Amino acid sequence: MNAFVIAAAVLLLGLGPCVWVAVRAEIVGALGALELASTITTLVLLCIAQGLHHDSFMDLAVVSAILSFAGSLAFARFLERWV
Amino acid sequence: MNVGDVAVGVLLAVGAASVLLSCVGLVAAPSSWDKLHFTGPATVVAPVALAGAVLVQEPLSSAGIKAVLVAVVMLLTGPVVLHATARAARVRDHGRFVILSKEAERKEQPSRSSSR
Repeated sequence: MNAFVIAAAVLLLGLGPCVWVAVRAEIVGALGALELASTITTLVLLCIAQGLHHDSFMDLAVVSAILSFAGSLAFARFLERWV
Repeated sequence: MNVGDVAVGVLLAVGAASVLLSCVGLVAAPSSWDKLHFTGPATVVAPVALAGAVLVQEPLSSAGIKAVLVAVVMLLTGPVVLHATARAARVRDHGRFVILSKEAERKEQPSRSSSR
């Protein structure tokens, strides 16, 4: 177990508060929590890829960073009009 | 343990601490608007610190380049997403933005001052 794997485990602890806020807060705060959770997920993938020396996992982090942007924009659009 | 390992440890600690502090702020902030502010540090500080840690460990490798790419994407898209979310919440609460003409602004001005 190296420093990157430990960092990934520590970062995963941050998902708990995000889930808590997403369930309990108003819808705008919940969307903020979702965005923070997607950021944490991307960073965890990056740490795992480096910690385990799997380059293919690094591709997942790149794709996750791009898709979380598109997903968050879609959620914001729905929040504005329909939700 | 050499200097590179220490630098990697420090950068990882900075990244993890910024994310955890953002999460604490997200839970502790009283209103939804305040909660939105706390997504910033995790989107800006953490990717740069983690990409720096990867670069220190493996400079000029494909992993390092991809880590920098992730950091750049998150740096560019984080503020855009935050702004879009705040704008959507504002439109949801107060309706669409209305751009007033000069004449309408002039008509609006006295009524605002009289209402104060």
